[in-house]
Amino acid sequence: MKFYFYIKVVFLLLILNSNSYAQNQIVADLSQENVKISTDFQGAKILLFGAYDGKKGDDIIVIVTGPKGLVTVQKKEKILGVWVNTKKVNYINTPKYLSISSNRKIEDILNQKTQKISEIGLNNLKIRVQPGIRVINEQQWRQALTRNMLKSNLWSINENSVTLNKDALFRSFLKLPSNVITGQFEVKILHYRNSKLVSQQINSINVSKSGISAEIYNIAQNYSTLYGIFAVFLAVLVGWGSNLIFRKV
Amino acid sequence: MYYCYLRNNYENLMYIYLPIAEQPIHSLAILGVGAFLGLIMGLVGVGGGFLLTPIMMFLGIPPPVAVASVANQLVAPSVSGVLSHWKRSNVDFKMGTVLLLGGIIGSSIGVLIFNFLGKIGQLDLVIKSSYVIFLTLIGSLMFAESLRLILRTRKGKISRGKLHQHNWLHGLPFKMRFRKSKLYISILLPVLIGVIVGILAALMGIGGGFIIVPAMIYLLGMPTSLVVGTSLFQIIFVAANTTILQASQNQTVDIVLATILLLGSVIGVQIGSRYTNILKGEYLRLILSSIIILVSLKLLIDLITVPSDLFSIIISR
Repeated sequence: MKFYFYIKVVFLLLILNSNSYAQNQIVADLSQENVKISTDFQGAKILLFGAYDGKKGDDIIVIVTGPKGLVTVQKKEKILGVWVNTKKVNYINTPKYLSISSNRKIEDILNQKTQKISEIGLNNLKIRVQPGIRVINEQQWRQALTRNMLKSNLWSINENSVTLNKDALFRSFLKLPSNVITGQFEVKILHYRNSKLVSQQINSINVSKSGISAEIYNIAQNYSTLYGIFAVFLAVLVGWGSNLIFRKV
Repeated sequence: MYYCYLRNNYENLMYIYLPIAEQPIHSLAILGVGAFLGLIMGLVGVGGGFLLTPIMMFLGIPPPVAVASVANQLVAPSVSGVLSHWKRSNVDFKMGTVLLLGGIIGSSIGVLIFNFLGKIGQLDLVIKSSYVIFLTLIGSLMFAESLRLILRTRKGKISRGKLHQHNWLHGLPFKMRFRKSKLYISILLPVLIGVIVGILAALMGIGGGFIIVPAMIYLLGMPTSLVVGTSLFQIIFVAANTTILQASQNQTVDIVLATILLLGSVIGVQIGSRYTNILKGEYLRLILSSIIILVSLKLLIDLITVPSDLFSIIISR
């Protein structure tokens, strides 16, 4: 693995220095493009690295977006002394993973307006409340969504986490938490000069369940009754077996 | 559990990713919890499931997965326990069969309720509040009973009365003779007990020993020596039925979690059942009831204190 990684770095440097390399380009690669969730999975740390045709003062922003879908926000209320979930709001088109990394504070790179137009920042995402539902005080629900996604580590803002080197190379670690959702992740690398987008590149990471863990999950979903019977059978076997073993001891 | 990925590799080896709960967990911790509760179960005959499920919830396993997986793991120590009780001829199979008929009906109803509650989004609340109610009830009853026994034996008074009290319950129709238990009673009562225990088993991930054992002693009037073995016998089938139905209806049985738990618990239950006659039951029950009361208090506090965030999220898979 490490060997291939070095090959890639050398290759990138060659591209950068070769004549065929056009102006204002950015090239990037990932140390890992397929993340497998197996029985020992506890999250992943992926190195993103690359080269860009930079000048002093240029900025790099990396946005990783996971699969989008339905996220429900629920609110608790006190009923008979107990806190019960009573209200809920469904958000559609919500990224179930999002990380925004940059070499310095995003507000120093882009002004509010540009951030909004380029959909950079947690409040500038195009997330919508499910049509047909009227929500009173939508602001607080949206804030609750952002707060809880940040708390679960599925969303993150990592300012100062992109390292720039001699205005030509950059690298950053992308962290996927253990509760990450499977699917296709888009890695967008944006190169800014004086708040203007110079170049960009899009890579992708595929997160999937693999090995025994994936098999078990699939069987539990697709052959659920058989799975249940097997689970019982296994338990009976262990119970009976332990009795045999302990009788002899 | 989110901070796990930052730890070093040696520590990481102990963590195992649960495929249904979809999170990593410390395998030794789970094994230890299983062994400890197996020990209690072997010693007292009750206490496996109804402490295990809350502990799993405290460890961060989603309540529906905790309930279903604990039901699965319960099968193993019950099989193991019945086999050792059978050897000492402490199982009334006839009574057990009548009980489990009710148990299978009950657990099937229970899984349906479970499914419905999941759909309306109140499953966690119902699981937790039923635990608070039952643990408080059982914990305080057990505490009072064992304390009374300890005080009485200290005074040195031993009272001997009839085999059991006769009441209106013994006058119901469909009578059947249970030779082993020296009983001639209506089967409606054990079937009904079975149904109630079955519903609770499915909803709370318990074998129902803590309800069925007192019910067998006080309502049916069974000899105490037969109670543990017979209740374990019926728990096997109720737990098995619950597991299969939970797996097919709700897909909440985590076989990896259940396997680690049951490996721990079978060892515990074997050690425990060996010392039932050596350790003094009432002292043990006093300690157990204190643990139960503490667990129910913790659950109650979680339900009634103002949450740090009134809002929470559900991410659909």
